[in-house]
Amino acid sequence: MTSLDLLLILSGLTTLTGFTFGNHRAYPWLAGIVLTAQIGILASMPLPMAAGFGFEMFGRPVGWQMDGFGRFFALITLGAALASVAYTGGEWGERYAAEGKNLRWLHGALAGNVLAMLLLLASGDLIAFFIGWELTSWAGFLLMAQGGERALRAAMRYVPYAMAGAMAVLGGLVLTLTWTGTLDLSQLVMLVPGLANWKLALLLALFGTGFAVKMGLLPVHLWQTPAYAEAPGAATAFLGAISSRMGLFGFGLLLVKLITLTRLADLSFIDGLFSARDLIEWVAALTIVLPTFTALKQNDARYLLAWHGIGQSGYMLLGLVIGDATGSAGGLLHVFNHATYQAALVLSVFAVMHRTGTADLNSMGGLVARMPFTFLVMLLGIIGLAGLPPMNGFVSKWLIYRSLMIEGRPLLFLMTVLGTLGTILSVYKLIHNTFLGQLRAEHEQIREAPWSMLVPMLALVALAFVTGVAPGLALDYVNQAQAALGLPVMAHTLGGVESPRGSLDMLWIVGVLFAGFGIGALLFYGAGGRSKRIHQLDNYAGGHFLSADVRYQYSDHFYAGLMHRIGPLYRGSFTQMEAALVSANDLLASLMQAWYRQAVPALTLLIATVLGLAWMIWR
Amino acid sequence: MTEFTLYTFLAASLGLIAIGIGGVILSRNLFRIVLALSIAEAGGNLLLVLIGFRHDAIAPIIEPGRTMTTMVDSIPQAMVLTSIVIGAGVQALALALAIRARASYGTLDMGIMRARMEADINRVAGAEPAASLHAPARPMLTERKA
Amino acid sequence: MNPSVLALVPALPLLAAFLLPLVPGAARRLVGPLTLLAVAFIGLNLWPMAQTEPMVLAVGNFAPPLGITFYADTVSALFVIAVALVTLVLWPWSGSDAGNLDRKQSLTLILAGACGGLAVSGDLFNVYVFYELAAVASFGLAAGARTAAAQIATFRYVVIGSLCSLLALLGITLIYVQTGTVNLAHLAQLAPHTLHNPLGLAAFFMILLGLGVKAELFLVNTWAPDVYATAEARVSGLLAGLVSKLALLAVARLLVLIFPLPEARDALLVLGMLGILSGEFAAFRARDVRRMLAWSSIAQLGAAFVAFAIPGPAGLAAGLAVALHHLLVKPALFLLADRWGGSLAQITGAARNSPVSATLFVLFILSMIGVPPLPGFWAKYLLLSGLAAQPQGLWWLAGAIILLTTVVEAVYLFRVIGALYGHDHRATPKSQSATAVIGSGVFAAVLLAIAFSAPLLALPLNRMAVQMADSAAYIARVLPPVLPGVAP
Repeated sequence: MTSLDLLLILSGLTTLTGFTFGNHRAYPWLAGIVLTAQIGILASMPLPMAAGFGFEMFGRPVGWQMDGFGRFFALITLGAALASVAYTGGEWGERYAAEGKNLRWLHGALAGNVLAMLLLLASGDLIAFFIGWELTSWAGFLLMAQGGERALRAAMRYVPYAMAGAMAVLGGLVLTLTWTGTLDLSQLVMLVPGLANWKLALLLALFGTGFAVKMGLLPVHLWQTPAYAEAPGAATAFLGAISSRMGLFGFGLLLVKLITLTRLADLSFIDGLFSARDLIEWVAALTIVLPTFTALKQNDARYLLAWHGIGQSGYMLLGLVIGDATGSAGGLLHVFNHATYQAALVLSVFAVMHRTGTADLNSMGGLVARMPFTFLVMLLGIIGLAGLPPMNGFVSKWLIYRSLMIEGRPLLFLMTVLGTLGTILSVYKLIHNTFLGQLRAEHEQIREAPWSMLVPMLALVALAFVTGVAPGLALDYVNQAQAALGLPVMAHTLGGVESPRGSLDMLWIVGVLFAGFGIGALLFYGAGGRSKRIHQLDNYAGGHFLSADVRYQYSDHFYAGLMHRIGPLYRGSFTQMEAALVSANDLLASLMQAWYRQAVPALTLLIATVLGLAWMIWR
Repeated sequence: MTEFTLYTFLAASLGLIAIGIGGVILSRNLFRIVLALSIAEAGGNLLLVLIGFRHDAIAPIIEPGRTMTTMVDSIPQAMVLTSIVIGAGVQALALALAIRARASYGTLDMGIMRARMEADINRVAGAEPAASLHAPARPMLTERKA
Repeated sequence: MNPSVLALVPALPLLAAFLLPLVPGAARRLVGPLTLLAVAFIGLNLWPMAQTEPMVLAVGNFAPPLGITFYADTVSALFVIAVALVTLVLWPWSGSDAGNLDRKQSLTLILAGACGGLAVSGDLFNVYVFYELAAVASFGLAAGARTAAAQIATFRYVVIGSLCSLLALLGITLIYVQTGTVNLAHLAQLAPHTLHNPLGLAAFFMILLGLGVKAELFLVNTWAPDVYATAEARVSGLLAGLVSKLALLAVARLLVLIFPLPEARDALLVLGMLGILSGEFAAFRARDVRRMLAWSSIAQLGAAFVAFAIPGPAGLAAGLAVALHHLLVKPALFLLADRWGGSLAQITGAARNSPVSATLFVLFILSMIGVPPLPGFWAKYLLLSGLAAQPQGLWWLAGAIILLTTVVEAVYLFRVIGALYGHDHRATPKSQSATAVIGSGVFAAVLLAIAFSAPLLALPLNRMAVQMADSAAYIARVLPPVLPGVAP
């Protein structure tokens, strides 16, 4: 038995245990221990590691093998699952069960997701890949459907998307088989780049559609926000952190490893007007900008974060497709970084929901006084999401910006900056409407979230901070992933990058930053440090004294001035497109039903027979 | 019987089939539909018999003491016998169904019966009748988000 | 084993069907199951022998091409086993009264006999006879629900069925005119000179439509939704699951032996594609689960026609896989739809009081839409890779249609899952009957066993397809080159 077998068996057992004893109080501990052990096994696994099992189907071997690229994603998966499971361990899980929801299903589905993803990430051929892909999709569906009526509806909306994606991948799979005669990834690496351009374009379209759906790339992103946002908290964190990254994993395999980026640049459309690579870069850039600005309009904290999840995936794909050492490292590192702070942010939003019962950004405020640790988590989380130092989000985004500038993509760079601007605006709205301003009367009695929920959140932001200060810790694994994909490997130091094309040392930056804070503090306290604590209502605004019912801040219609300018640009085109597709489908369906409801089938039969015979005889 | 007669019979059999199919298509009355079906089948059987027919041959029965002469092909005749039996059974079944259905619905009109059947199926299933595009099976998946 | 046991496959159930009302007392209820077990036993014995060499029986020792020929290769053996066992699982154990039960059991036995006969028939006219027998039995069973709606639905089925039998008969007549024989092997021998012309193709098209009625072929499948919605669940399962497969098998044999022509394949392909499209989309707007299943079964059989259209053993392997998978899944789903056949509102939350059935339902649905590693995926994989290996054009269009409609299929089937596990507490869904749970449980067990042993089953499937595709071997086996002692 190889250590990959052990890893998968442990996941299988956790899944079984989750479905049977998931409601037991000890389960989260057990699962936490197993997940920690799995992380240990995975991190210390020599690569590439083949699985001891496998089978032959229709004369083709189906097997599993973990390489550096898969391991990078697998580590994040296990880590995200660990945080989510730990979060359910105390009050949150008890409340969940008390609401009449099924904790066993939640845990089983969560562990099942991990298993499915591990199978996907370790696939050694396209059949194993497709098995993992489908299992991931349906395990994801199961997890999404857990949160009640609205969640079920959102999950049902995911079904056509997921299925369309899976079928596109299956179509690509059989075409690959037809054209190359093999499905083994190690052989395909050599065979696929040699295919004719139109074949590559078709493969790109089919596989790309499948991966884009999972990733939530424009224009097939609509399912993701409600499905992720409406799931129960721990599930939302897991889904938001890693689930949709499986699409990126697919893109990595397809674009970089199989088709290769140089062949991708050869595939030109409309007389060389643009190449497939340009196309993907621009799709990624649009995926950064449009969902980020959609997030700006959200009034539900969960939806806001879910939209950002879509937007951030654009950075990852963009970095990967630029494909130089810096850019691809940035794109891949962003997967890890995003997982850490996104999970922390989601968990903090659900911690607030746990206490206040709402995620509506218009009915909260001032909670910093009651939930300071949760505030801290969200603060550090949004710093990461916005891509500012000292958090890790800064490092990956810096690498991507840097690479865009060096590789000469000024327009794309502009798009990423625009995206970051939108991110900063909307995360400020998030933290302001939740924690700043005045505490509402109904939230006077709120307490801090329980430790069972705080610990995973704090651990996640701590991780985001540490890997922000010392990105070298994560970049080791990124380098392995780059090597496994055949990308140029970015040399790095503990604090960041040291290269003639630009250096970044986070140790130094954070040192300066904190030195600045320290000097400020010294000045403040040296000057006497006078401060006075006053009640929130002991204040005035615009000459008016405040009371509990006259609030100084209005969270409703937050960016009124900005929205006055850009508001008309939101047209809901994608939603309309989706609705149009559904209508077309419905129309076709009623036409087809008309065939089965015809009054005199014999007549149509006669006509068809005569036509058929005529065709047979005179063709 | 000459070639001419053979062709006449051939035309007659095809004509019977055409009349039968036309009858099935044009009539709404269950009984007429059954009649039309049996006419069409008669045409088909006649055609089958004609296939094996030779005007200078005798019946394909070997009797002791008879000299071997040309016989008509026996296989189509065997097939026709089978086909006639099956056809008779099916017609009896169709008639029985028609009688039963008339007892329940009080009519022999196919159009009315179809509508009643449709309504019955929907009632048993507890589903609204199929109407237009404005009444989909379930609220569509697109839930507008502000 | 003596080849004459082949005759028992159709004869035993038919005999039992007519003797059943005469058997006294409690033993009467055992006649059917025992007969079916005997047929299954014959099938199981046929299987290993057919693997080495197909078995041929010339009834009454009239050597082929004279007389009636029965022919059993592995595919036939498999279908004989399937006929016996599936009929056994869907056996009518209870009826409103004794006479009713007798009738039901007799008709079911006739159906089983006719289906067994179709599996082993070696001549065209026998195919027609057994097919008609199956038709009559299925008419009787379909009307057996005794509601007025069922009678009208069956009447419409009879009309379409009879018209198409007439077409088939005309087709057979045409073939006989051209060749003077109805023996499949002899026809296969003569076909290149006599039947590979427009007239032969016209005959094929007519027979295709004739046999297509039972196989729910597009153009002649308008009866299916109404009949499946009104008949007993068991009967719907038998018709959609079993009878359709035997009709498919007959068509596939014709295609392989007599009409291996691109035109014939195109006809199958086009009608199959239309069947898939019309079935899946009609099911998308179905208002009740039963008709949804009926339409989805039309679509699945369309996929089987598409699969059989692919030339060579690849097509047969894909077709057999799709057909056998459907044979397992659809009857089970119809069984479960016995209580859950109504609108989605009626079954909302049904998983609460019947968790096992709901799980089985989900399992079958997942296999149907082809979620790996369930068998449905491998069937779909074979089908799609077979289509992709063909030159572009219609073949790829068919592949694209299959991929596209699977999405539609997933949507409407997941609606059912969503309803089963829904949260509406006002509804009081019916809990499942024990027979449905047991019956579908058996199918589920087989499905799972296949899922786990899929790598082992790939080889036999392939061998079966190769054997079936080898028309030269068929001819040589039925008509040995030298026929000593037989008068011309």
